[in-house]
Amino acid sequence: MARLLEYQGKALFKRKGIPIPEGRLVQSVDEAMNVVDELRFPVAVKAQVLSGRRGKAGGILFAEDEDSLSQSVKDLLGKQIQGSPVEGLLIEEKAEIQKELYMAVTADPSTRQPVGIFSPKGGVDIEETAETEPAAVFTTPIDILRGFYYYDAMDLLRQVEGLESREMLTLANLFVRLYQVYREYDCKLAEMNPLALVEQGAMALDARVDIDDDAVSRQTTLDIDLAEEAGERAATLLEIAAATIDENDHRGTVHFVQIDPDASCARTTGKVPVGLDAVGAGTGLTIMDELVPLGYYPINFCDSSGNPVGSKFYRITKVIMSQPQIEGYLFVSCVSSQQLDNAARGLIKAFKELYPRTGGRPNIPCVVVFRGGWDDVAVDLFREHGISDGRWIEVLGRDTTEKESAEIFDALYKEWKKETGGLQ
Amino acid sequence: MKVLEFEVRSGGTIRIDLEKCESCETKACVKMCNTPGMGQILELKDDVPALKYTLEEVKRGACTEDLGCELECELHGNKALVITLPLPELDEYLENLSEQPTYLREG
Repeated sequence: MARLLEYQGKALFKRKGIPIPEGRLVQSVDEAMNVVDELRFPVAVKAQVLSGRRGKAGGILFAEDEDSLSQSVKDLLGKQIQGSPVEGLLIEEKAEIQKELYMAVTADPSTRQPVGIFSPKGGVDIEETAETEPAAVFTTPIDILRGFYYYDAMDLLRQVEGLESREMLTLANLFVRLYQVYREYDCKLAEMNPLALVEQGAMALDARVDIDDDAVSRQTTLDIDLAEEAGERAATLLEIAAATIDENDHRGTVHFVQIDPDASCARTTGKVPVGLDAVGAGTGLTIMDELVPLGYYPINFCDSSGNPVGSKFYRITKVIMSQPQIEGYLFVSCVSSQQLDNAARGLIKAFKELYPRTGGRPNIPCVVVFRGGWDDVAVDLFREHGISDGRWIEVLGRDTTEKESAEIFDALYKEWKKETGGLQ
Repeated sequence: MKVLEFEVRSGGTIRIDLEKCESCETKACVKMCNTPGMGQILELKDDVPALKYTLEEVKRGACTEDLGCELECELHGNKALVITLPLPELDEYLENLSEQPTYLREG
């Protein structure tokens, strides 16, 4: 899922005629001072980060004049909001809010179709409202083939107590436009929270737009870096690099996410950071479960599926090995129908390129486990190329369990640490 | 210099130095490519590797990028075949790293 920043989401809303506050994106105090004549005070200064609950984390400030604007920009730029650095600010005219509402269109996995959601309780977490006041959340399933029309929106809004007729007409109009955003930009979520009733009608005070990963390649106007879903943080450079592996080649997939990009979590919990590549996500999770109690922390998750070509394994191995914090590496396949000799060739080519002086024998503990189609060929290839003879690598076959793989890695790591003292 | 060079689907090239192939006794790349489960795109013509398909067909995916030809040539042939598979975004990441990856360090 590719999540857009607020200003990017609002730009899509604007393209479809959804009113938004007058605003400008700035990245410095100078830029803020340059746009000050184009906006009316008071203004809101909003950190552009992907994390939720930005307001509670101090990511939104208000300014009454140029001095307080300058100070707000200085206070926010470079600040960390829930782990994400603030690199841009949206300065917007502060709206005179009469009422805060919630409106969204999202994908409902249970019915496998879009759903329109409206609540008169806006500005708060909709999941929280659904839990504490379920009667305040109104939904309507949307037939994606038929579309979503003005009268569909009116049918939903008529159920909401306390809305005036004029407000209903305005909101129904916005609902249809929000659905257009959802469809045209292949969204998984298009959300206005809060959607504010103001003197002139209604406007989206915040925008959350998530684009379906599988559609990013055709949404060329959005300038999105394709990457795996990484929660409420921007994709890392390494994740962006990994995502390009599948970009133009659909012969199997490799999914790579950095769980602990700077290994700070591993280190604060006293664990050894390691790189991980799994064939099959279930195997990936199982091997993690086996590694963690032994004192190792996979700082990335990687899963390949659909029988990827050898070149994908080559590229993803280089990606995983490029994490400077790792003190070990594991490749573990499930008992897979994949052609594992292709995986082996990808790994061998990568190892030989990364370790040219030793002919591909690694300098950190590595455990490689092939279980499934052509697993015997895969094991033989490592032997044939002389990599299995390496001091710090174990290449294992079908009879190895995840538990054994982790234990063998543990023993190898301890030996490596004792003998070499670890990485210099 | 006689060279066979072609592009592959994922973005990269395979380059074969045919002069080296002339003296190769095994033609290991062609044998490997025609093993069941592999790409089946290479054949021998005038005793050197040639493509069974057009360059467009190979680029569209006829080459399965199993890497078998390169590794076999390296082990049993004349080291005449090089597969280049760039990943520019990774190069950019590595350029910006403040710490060296482990494979460049002493261990």
